[in-house]
Amino acid sequence: MTSKEEEFNEPIIRRRRIAIPDIDHVDYKDVDLLKNFITERGKILPRRITGISCSYQSKIKKAIKRARYMALLPFVTEE
Amino acid sequence: MKKEKRRIYEGMYIVSTTLSDDARKKALDKILAGITDKGGEIRKVHEWGRRKLAYSINKKREGYYYIIYFDLASSQIVSLWHEYHLHEDLLRFMTLQVESVQEKLEFKPIKVEKERV
Repeated sequence: MTSKEEEFNEPIIRRRRIAIPDIDHVDYKDVDLLKNFITERGKILPRRITGISCSYQSKIKKAIKRARYMALLPFVTEE
Repeated sequence: MKKEKRRIYEGMYIVSTTLSDDARKKALDKILAGITDKGGEIRKVHEWGRRKLAYSINKKREGYYYIIYFDLASSQIVSLWHEYHLHEDLLRFMTLQVESVQEKLEFKPIKVEKERV
């Protein structure tokens, strides 16, 4: 394999390791926590990138959607 | 007759900031009275204060947030919502069933490390 091909095959995923406090309930009012799980435009990051457990991700997802409804987080951010 | 089950609810309310302090207090009293009229009991009222909205609601960019914990018979909650839809100063509301009353609005700080895999 040439070096150019190797470069091309390199994954470009930026994984975020988020050290989560040991809690079983995610509060939708905790905006600072939830902001780590959305992109700059306001989309929810996939589990592939956040690297958290399935059950925690689904709690985060629910909390983000509640926070969006109460205008704590944006649906879409426009420039 | 079977006794109805009472549950604890958490309500978040966004009140318009265009109101004066007195008018806002009146709007809050109207919300609280609505709960107590239906046989509910107020457990805790948090004033979260003026916050910028993430997007505009009814052409307003700011809102005044209240978080109210109360217990109420579960059948009464729907009629409460009907009442809120008629409330003019209320921009948004949400009521959720919760396990317990949150005494303080504090959250644990978290550490975030970004790494490339």
